[in-house]
Amino acid sequence: MTANASHYLNRFKAYLRIDQTIRDDAAQELYAHLQDKTQELEETGLSREEASKIAVQSLGSPELIAQQIYETHAQGSWKEAFFSALPHFLVASLFASYYYWHNVISLSIILGLTVGTAIYGWHRGKPIWLFPWLGYYLMPVVVTGILLLSLPQGWGWIAALIYIPLALFVLVHIVRQTARRDWLYASLMLAPMPVIFGWFLSSGAGNEFLANDMWMARLQAKAPWIVISFIALAGATIGFIRLKSRTHKILSLLTPPVVILLSVTLASRASIDAWGWLILLFSLFAFAIPVWMQARAYQ
Amino acid sequence: MNYGRELLKGNTDSLLLCLISRQPTYGYQIVKELVKRSNGYFQFKEGTLYPALHRLERERLIEGKWQILANGQQRRYYYITDNGRQVLATRLATWQDFSSAVMAVIQPETV
Repeated sequence: MTANASHYLNRFKAYLRIDQTIRDDAAQELYAHLQDKTQELEETGLSREEASKIAVQSLGSPELIAQQIYETHAQGSWKEAFFSALPHFLVASLFASYYYWHNVISLSIILGLTVGTAIYGWHRGKPIWLFPWLGYYLMPVVVTGILLLSLPQGWGWIAALIYIPLALFVLVHIVRQTARRDWLYASLMLAPMPVIFGWFLSSGAGNEFLANDMWMARLQAKAPWIVISFIALAGATIGFIRLKSRTHKILSLLTPPVVILLSVTLASRASIDAWGWLILLFSLFAFAIPVWMQARAYQ
Repeated sequence: MNYGRELLKGNTDSLLLCLISRQPTYGYQIVKELVKRSNGYFQFKEGTLYPALHRLERERLIEGKWQILANGQQRRYYYITDNGRQVLATRLATWQDFSSAVMAVIQPETV
């Protein structure tokens, strides 16, 4: 392969952030095209380098081809959109009724469904609908963070020394696995995290969590807003799956969690303690960094 | 706006389906056939063909299969599907009706 062709295909592959099999196939197809064209031009008497240069030029911008191929494959079906949004709808339905989210059986069913679906999807080639489910599968990390806040004064620091590296390890490992396919899928996966943290922390200081019934009462009072925020998250997920343009996907994914988190924290900033702010910042960072990295890579 | 380019854009799928329906073919050959059959009228950046082929394949109107040539080179050949044939037949019929109607309107009246 000539340097021209190699450079062209590298630019193409760097810009095309889709399933690796599709990307490799598309690059291989362009390579075959370049080979044919170069060979034909060489037969007219051109040198290999000249022929390769003309062949590359005749293909056009690799970024444009990558963008158009991306838009062809990026739009998921309505079925995929529905399954991707389903975990958010389930959480919304959970909070829609006081009975459901205080009932061990309904909680266990949803938890079992989430774990089962996440494991099933992970071993079935990581389809796009898997990632929101995977986000809820990471809930133990979230719950541990909240439990950390309920420890007595002083112990929190010790627990943090163990918890933060462990949480980071788990998150980074799963995010890296996900990002190998597309950085945006990592954000799709982490989208519920800032929303969940926001709502839990807005209902009172962490150390009130387990011992105080007031915490549950406050959360109960906010249940309609919690339902709306998870429906908004479901809507954003449907938008993400169905939209073709990458920029629109980013906007669709980024806007609802950030708006919800800002609204919740601004409305209840007095009741969030230092730990709470730290965890909120961490969750926002974890959610937004894949979007930022992708936008940067895409530019 | 380039009217010719817009017309080509609107009919790319039909042109590709038509060529692929005649015989299984690959990207570079499609480009050459388009230029040859149109007497050089259809000139475009060759790479823009591939997103169109991907779109048709995703819509299950064509199917791509890799083939290895005797010299070791790999090529992706496209085959038209049954669904693709049906869509092509409908589009060609619509195009013929449209083209006849346009010709009937624009041709000079004979006394």
